[in-house]
Amino acid sequence: MAYALFPDTPTKRPPVPVKIIVAGGFGVGKTTTVRSISEIAPLTTEAEMTSVAIGVDEPRAESHKTTTTVAMDFGCVTIDETLKLYLFGTPGQDRFGFMWDDICLGALGAVVLVDPRRITDSFPGIDYFEANAIPFVIGVNVFDGAPRYPTPEIREALGVAHDTPIVECDARNKDSVKMVLLTLLESLVAKAQARAHMR
Amino acid sequence: MNGDGRGTPDPEPIGRIPPYLRAQPSGAAPVGPPNRDATTDRSATLRPFVLTSGRVNAVDPEIDVETQVTLRPHDPRVGRVPLGSLGPEMQAMVALCGQPISVAEISARLRLHLGVTKILVADLRAAGYLDVHVADTLSPVSADTILRVMHGLRALS
Repeated sequence: MAYALFPDTPTKRPPVPVKIIVAGGFGVGKTTTVRSISEIAPLTTEAEMTSVAIGVDEPRAESHKTTTTVAMDFGCVTIDETLKLYLFGTPGQDRFGFMWDDICLGALGAVVLVDPRRITDSFPGIDYFEANAIPFVIGVNVFDGAPRYPTPEIREALGVAHDTPIVECDARNKDSVKMVLLTLLESLVAKAQARAHMR
Repeated sequence: MNGDGRGTPDPEPIGRIPPYLRAQPSGAAPVGPPNRDATTDRSATLRPFVLTSGRVNAVDPEIDVETQVTLRPHDPRVGRVPLGSLGPEMQAMVALCGQPISVAEISARLRLHLGVTKILVADLRAAGYLDVHVADTLSPVSADTILRVMHGLRALS
């Protein structure tokens, strides 16, 4: 590697980055989730996104694509010297689906945050991850004073597969966010091990 | 963007930095740490892709938001453009990369549009200033790596 060529200018080998996407409707707690677990205050970057009008009665969605600049929040957790976890909050819009390909390529998986009072806001995220075969978990953000629903009801309302984990969480609470991420990662380990056995 | 340099041959061999990304040749080019305020002010007032001369597609599609960027150790046998002749945004990028840093973080810290950041990072790689550590995003992450992430998360207090 190039690092050893010039010993007088030591360059530390950078960590391998892995990333998890945090999606969900506007105001559902994406940035709060990132803030709860990140070792740095969440940073904001502006990215170009292709927005797609969503509607079942719109057969030619292709003609309704527009490019918008959206703000995206992210944070990170240093796992060790060689591994760093990044969390990216996808920009939330209620009526539009975004093409998140630039952000999601290579992601370990995603957390879709759900506000049980506005359950349809999470559909664009779920649709996107299902269509792109990105593994995800549902995090039902428990808001103070908001009604709570049993998991089977939430699952039915969301229409997600039986093996998609659904967990209640509090986006403001670090341990709670940790638990959601661990739930996602546990489901990934099982998949990765199954894949390794098939080789 | 002033017009000089256009059409007139450039006397000094300047690597692969396109003319529109160089600092303005008039006056003394800034040397040393770039002025961060000037950078952010300029970025805030210009339409984002002015800095890339209208290019909107990153030349290196493998540069991702989480891709790690480091300074490339200087090889004196390989000539490169003097730092001071680069545009202020690019100088600020070089200054940021002393420690490994992600493309997203460069974008956020310099308040540069993510797409612009990717293009300028690729230009600085071509110019010999930065190393871009492209991850293999096509092959799935191993169970071992995921277990390490889990272990690290559990250890967070």
